[in-house]
Amino acid sequence: MATAAHAGHRLERRYARLGVFLIAPTIVVFSLVIVYPLLAAIYLSFFSVYTPTLEGEFTGADNYIRLLTNAAFWNSLITTLIWTVGTLSLQIVFGVGMALLLHQNLWFRSLARSLVLFPYFVSTVVAVLVWRWLFNDLYGAINHGLMQLGIMDMPLDWLGTMPNAMIGVILVGAWKYFPFVVIAVLARLQTIPEHLYEAAKIDGAGPIARFFDVTLPQLRSVLVVIILLRAIWDFKEFDLIYLLTGGGPVTSTQTLSLLVYQEAFALNEMGQAAAYSIGMMLVMLVFMLVYIRRTAREA
Amino acid sequence: MRILRKLGFNLFTWILVLLVAFPLVWMILTSLKPQTELFRIPPTWLPETVTFEHYWRLLTETPFLIYFRNSVVLATTTTVFVVVLGAIGAYSLVRFAYRGRETLATLVLFTYLLPSVVLIIPLYLMMVELGLSNTLASLVLAHTTFALPYALWLLRSFMEGVPEDLESAALVDGASRMGAFRDVILPQLLPGIISTALFTFILSWNEYLYALVLVNSDAVRPLTTGVMTMLISAFNIEWSLLMAASVMMSLPLIVVFAFLQSYLTRGFGAGAVKG
Amino acid sequence: MTLNRFMSTGVRRRSVLGGMAAVGAAAAMPRRIRAQETITLRWWSPQSSPEQLAAYETQMRNFEAQHENVQVVFERTSDEGYAPQLAAAFASGDVPNIVTHLPSFAVSDYWSAGLLEPFNDVIDMVGPENYYEGANQIYEIDPGVYAGTGIGNSAANMLWLRTDLMEQAGIDEAPRTWDQLRDAVSRMQGGGIFGAPLPYGRNSMTSLIFIGVIHQAGGQVFSPDLQVAIDSDETRNALEFYRSMREYCPPGATNYSWGESLTAFVSGATATGIYTGRVLINVANQNPGIADYIDCVLYPTVSEDVPAWTFNDFPSVFIPRQASNMDVTKQFAAFLFDPEGYIQQLHAAPGHVLPVLWTISENPEYLDNPIIERYTPQVDLMAAAAAEGYNLGWESQGHQPNVKAGEIINSNVISEMVQRVVLNDENVDQVLSDTSSRLEEIMGS
Repeated sequence: MATAAHAGHRLERRYARLGVFLIAPTIVVFSLVIVYPLLAAIYLSFFSVYTPTLEGEFTGADNYIRLLTNAAFWNSLITTLIWTVGTLSLQIVFGVGMALLLHQNLWFRSLARSLVLFPYFVSTVVAVLVWRWLFNDLYGAINHGLMQLGIMDMPLDWLGTMPNAMIGVILVGAWKYFPFVVIAVLARLQTIPEHLYEAAKIDGAGPIARFFDVTLPQLRSVLVVIILLRAIWDFKEFDLIYLLTGGGPVTSTQTLSLLVYQEAFALNEMGQAAAYSIGMMLVMLVFMLVYIRRTAREA
Repeated sequence: MRILRKLGFNLFTWILVLLVAFPLVWMILTSLKPQTELFRIPPTWLPETVTFEHYWRLLTETPFLIYFRNSVVLATTTTVFVVVLGAIGAYSLVRFAYRGRETLATLVLFTYLLPSVVLIIPLYLMMVELGLSNTLASLVLAHTTFALPYALWLLRSFMEGVPEDLESAALVDGASRMGAFRDVILPQLLPGIISTALFTFILSWNEYLYALVLVNSDAVRPLTTGVMTMLISAFNIEWSLLMAASVMMSLPLIVVFAFLQSYLTRGFGAGAVKG
Repeated sequence: MTLNRFMSTGVRRRSVLGGMAAVGAAAAMPRRIRAQETITLRWWSPQSSPEQLAAYETQMRNFEAQHENVQVVFERTSDEGYAPQLAAAFASGDVPNIVTHLPSFAVSDYWSAGLLEPFNDVIDMVGPENYYEGANQIYEIDPGVYAGTGIGNSAANMLWLRTDLMEQAGIDEAPRTWDQLRDAVSRMQGGGIFGAPLPYGRNSMTSLIFIGVIHQAGGQVFSPDLQVAIDSDETRNALEFYRSMREYCPPGATNYSWGESLTAFVSGATATGIYTGRVLINVANQNPGIADYIDCVLYPTVSEDVPAWTFNDFPSVFIPRQASNMDVTKQFAAFLFDPEGYIQQLHAAPGHVLPVLWTISENPEYLDNPIIERYTPQVDLMAAAAAEGYNLGWESQGHQPNVKAGEIINSNVISEMVQRVVLNDENVDQVLSDTSSRLEEIMGS
């Protein structure tokens, strides 16, 4: 008996060692490509650094003081929030809606699914190019389509003036990323047991009541995760906005990622850029913690 | 009545689907028009003359094929690297008990928060020190920064979906842990691995910012930055070539994903998506 | 490289990341061994149209033929992308050997940070007597030492006109003043054709063009001793003019940069254009139907009393100080001016990049080109204008070189000013005072 327990203990220790051994490569790669650059960024944020030489002086908390007192960071934060909330809600609403439709018995269902997933597959570069061509003021299909339908009589400047630019960016973002929501929701829908619907039907629930009483609660767990993931990605999004509007007009679509980029590479102020990005991460961290805590409590 | 309702539903859904796919259609149509027809006001909805000259020019006169090869190599290598690391790591995180395991799992989630912009310069310096600057390997490592946390997280949820009894049974039958991993867990995990691989591939294939800064020569440039710097410049914007390039960048992916599409949803579904 | 710099730096200025990079490298594999047999030279340029690439190819192969075991590779960059790429390259020490066609103010910026190799040797190899007089003046930031040299001149804000549309509208003379220009574009606009493709985007083109407009109003951005001088009546005038032109520009001009603006004129969507001589070859290739009806003049100014101000971005050549194989690199830099390759390079877009060597301008081979022959007066006009051109790095003969010009352009301070006034209709006084303080901040950093 005692020896068996002893042997079990030894086996456990050996397993623990094996476990550590298996995670080790991941940890090494993490430290190399994530932890080290992160520490470097934190370190840089206390200096005034000229980007091309990476030389500069220690300036203490100056960069952070400027972050707190300058309007640039806060304006960009608001822009980022508008973009994130706008595009994320569209993604969720449209994604869930589309998933419900594609879950039904549709003609050529798998073709429809492939077509809907397409925006998520294509490169951001392709998405931006196509949309810039669609939005083109002179030769763009959207302006002329709307004009031929009689919805408007002059071409609209989609990406150059406010609020159109923000709306345009949000729309393209939603188009590009809603298939992700479709994928996840569709997957979850397929696992909802049919008998739940049967039971609801017997209780006399209509389609709408069935959605709210059966489907939505079942989707809750997956939505919680998707919203978290997409929110983080949208918050950080760089490529799409940079290539679509470059942050303009003025700074109306300049989100925090673009601000960091501009500070680092246009103004060559690597230190300030690092401080901005640390600030950006802290904001995300706070949102994330609040979100996780609230959703965990409700669950 | 039933038929009518069905018809209405199908019509409605398909209109939505086609609206979503319209940019794809427009991209293909544009790429088939001759340059002169592009600048017609109002635009022609269907090409009056169909031409494949843009595709031909792209393939014969530009480094498009080199970029394409680079992108394939880059995305594939990243995917293999990340999925192998992630699968082993996830196995460790889910099925082994050791100190610091929970903390590690949480840290993985936090690494999502890192914006790429801030990692670039330190990463670039490191690549130079490693002698990897201006190589595809540097991009593979850089893509790991966002792909690995995601893959690890996905695979971890998939791993949790694999019943523990199966592994225990194998162990009782005398298999080693690694043997059980290979013979029992991997087959169960396969849909999840394919799903993760697809997502990783997409992320890597689409990445723009690292590619812009970390590599400069045409020999190693991927499609995203290659097509942009080649065709959008201060002297010309060749929309027809851009659209042809876009089509060629997307079509192979669409074909592949049309076949593997069910994996994306299947793996994601199996009770896998947990926080 | 980084390690060396870390050890040798002084107390006050220190390489911030050096130490950390070295630590990161400690875990590293051995450094890649550089192949000794062949020397590879890396050449960067943002100018890479297919015709230009073909010319570069000739130059590289000719040079390789003369130098055994030397290989030259071309790597393209872009106007919007060069800043991060070069920043990363300089920071790591993994630099290209030679960089061409960046605006002169980028050169002065890097020079003042001590990143560039003095160019005197190369200029001596090319032969200082072959240059147009004063062609290298803007590169002489420190007395007697050159930071780079010009690979060409450009007249980037020529007013391009469609003579057929002018005739239709009953305009016999090219506009000389803003009033005449406004009158002309308003008469030519219509039937799907807009008057002008001026840029209103948040980008470098808008900044660069608008700096020209300030000068065309008789104003300046900085005083000769580089005090911020943008808050002036002339700037207000310029903003007013720019605002009044908005209705003659396509709706999407709010996102226009060089490519869009050029394409708008070449495709026939606008009656006037604003660009270099690149227009000529693009019209020949893409819209030959209007080739007989294009002309160019200097961009109009507020009144006949104010002289024209041509924006010349002074496409440059420079060599990073950390470049390897410096001797061969310098030889290659000088070789770029070898007539055969240089002329082919210039012919890639005739009138776009104009020669900096008078010996080339007079070379019969240079003149033997269908486009240059067909548009001789225009090419001559551009050459003369470019020779007297300026940019923000050097606003007038009397100005000191402004080494912060590159950062000012990249920061979009000027284009944001234009957008705030023209698109957002903000109070001009407020905008100008904000702009001034932002400029001062950049100058002081």
